[in-house]
Amino acid sequence: MKPSSLKTDERTLALLKNIQVFMLPVLLVFSLILFATLSPVFLTAANLTNVAVNSVDLALVAAGLTLILLMGGIDVSTGFAVGLTAWFVGTLSGLNLNPYLILVAAIVIGATIGLFNGSLTVFFGIPSIVATIGTAAIYQTLLFLLWNSRDVFAEPVTPFLSGSGRWLGVPTLIWLVLLIYLALHVVLTKTSFGRSIFAIGSNPEAANLIGLKIRRTRFIVYATLGGLIGLAAVTYLGRVGVVQAYSGNEITFLAIASVVVGGTSILGGEGSILRTLGGVAFIMILNNGSVLAGVPSIWNGVVIGSIILLAVSLKGAVVILERKRSGI
Amino acid sequence: MLIVVIILTTVVMSLISPFFLTQSNLLSLLMYTTVVGLLALSQTPVILAGNGGADLSVGSVLSLCSVIFGTLAVVMDLNPWLAAIVTMVCGALLGLINGLFITLLNLPPLIVTLSTLYLYASLALVISGGRDINGFDEAGFAFLGQGSILGIPAMVLLVLFPVYLFGSFLMNKTVFGRNVYVIGSSAEAAKLSGINVVRTKILLYVFSSVVASLGAIVTASWLLNARSTAGSEFLLPSIAIAVLGGVAINGGIGKVSGTFLALVLVAILNSGLQLAGVNSTIQIGLLGVIIIVSILIRSKDQSKAIAT
Repeated sequence: MKPSSLKTDERTLALLKNIQVFMLPVLLVFSLILFATLSPVFLTAANLTNVAVNSVDLALVAAGLTLILLMGGIDVSTGFAVGLTAWFVGTLSGLNLNPYLILVAAIVIGATIGLFNGSLTVFFGIPSIVATIGTAAIYQTLLFLLWNSRDVFAEPVTPFLSGSGRWLGVPTLIWLVLLIYLALHVVLTKTSFGRSIFAIGSNPEAANLIGLKIRRTRFIVYATLGGLIGLAAVTYLGRVGVVQAYSGNEITFLAIASVVVGGTSILGGEGSILRTLGGVAFIMILNNGSVLAGVPSIWNGVVIGSIILLAVSLKGAVVILERKRSGI
Repeated sequence: MLIVVIILTTVVMSLISPFFLTQSNLLSLLMYTTVVGLLALSQTPVILAGNGGADLSVGSVLSLCSVIFGTLAVVMDLNPWLAAIVTMVCGALLGLINGLFITLLNLPPLIVTLSTLYLYASLALVISGGRDINGFDEAGFAFLGQGSILGIPAMVLLVLFPVYLFGSFLMNKTVFGRNVYVIGSSAEAAKLSGINVVRTKILLYVFSSVVASLGAIVTASWLLNARSTAGSEFLLPSIAIAVLGGVAINGGIGKVSGTFLALVLVAILNSGLQLAGVNSTIQIGLLGVIIIVSILIRSKDQSKAIAT
């Protein structure tokens, strides 16, 4: 290869990497400015708090999903898993049980669902996308059967887990999300368990060869996602107040979108959980802002879909150029 | 194996409901089958080509093509047959987009088609503004979806059977088909033996989307309406039928005829459950179980591989 073309490749690679890093912040700032100009209500503290409180269930699911994507897997059953768990939470709420018992029950039910998904991919070797397409259908039907044409109405399990709870003037739900993201960030960056998640995602065979317990790690991650789905079901119900036949469905794709827009590589091995929070923020701001600005929200799907495809393509191009550079 | 199950189910269903084996029921069974069958066929070669491939966007391609077709034939008042051809060209373009992203940027097919699943469905919503498009030229065009020849629905005789025969011919008798099988067993080996892997893969996704766009035209002719959500329910059955038909999810193994037998079985189940008054949401769960169980049965030897 000519040195000049090598140089161009270097430059393209650096450019693409810059775009990867700065895409999310630029999108966030751009959408904030855009909607602040279009709507006087948008940039008020009341509205932004409202957006933050409404994105809690999405943020929790997206946090768990980030770990799955880091390992190179995916889960398209999260939405109905939230809906299904929320049905149990709503029904248990009607029995006047201790709220913390209900909270624990929700996390256990969510973790069970997560372990079911996990065992299909980890122990039976079904690719996670196909397995979760199947389980999504099963959860949808289970929710439908349990719902049985009767909407389940419920009050928030505890004020602490509803939009009205406050600590130091900030909604308790936001503290909860920050705490979980921070904890997962520490686990991912400071522990050997976290590093093994990255290792499995970037090269499962190599991770196997150096003796990492792949199956155990993946199993724990699926259980973690499940537990977060349980928690999300509680906040979802606290926000919406009712469980119906299709409850939660909308979360599935928005969660994947949040993670990918946040820059976590859908190919595994690369990403950051804190950036997922930025992805959640962008998607929720887009939804809220377009409503306030009177922009038809049907365009949101096209915008989000294009950004995802762009993010994925950038990653693909970077991988190709890096391989070319190292001469593989 | 599948044939035995088909015979057994038929016997059980006809015992459960006396209406099952009536001519009118068997005919309506074939109607449902046509659209689902087209999408299952469009899925088959893509899964056969391996690399964890499956075209998750087929349902959204159907939706988008449905809206495009509606816009051309009703809103712009184009001749429906001409509009159908333009719609199929659009279908080919949508598949080309999938194929180009997958091959040129070397991205996993599932990720690309998951993105376009969302993107195409959103575009369909934007183009239609979320409204149904009604008012197709009924006289001539409706014959395809509602008429029949010698007692057999026109869409089965003129679309489903020919397309399956073509698909079977394509996969069994042509160089293209053989290449797909080779790529499905080992993309590396295919490359070494001089197969143009990139071109073959792109063609696969074009084929997949064109067949899905046919599904859009058939749906429009059957229901005389076009919706932006027309295809959203078909992704699940398309994968379930292909996998049930013996198409291994890891590629390389499976036949179009297997997909066809699985289609017949799912259609019989669907019709029987409908006659028994079982809600269609329960059938969704059943399809989910079918996907997982058929992979579990077949993948025992592959389960040692590290799946993601």
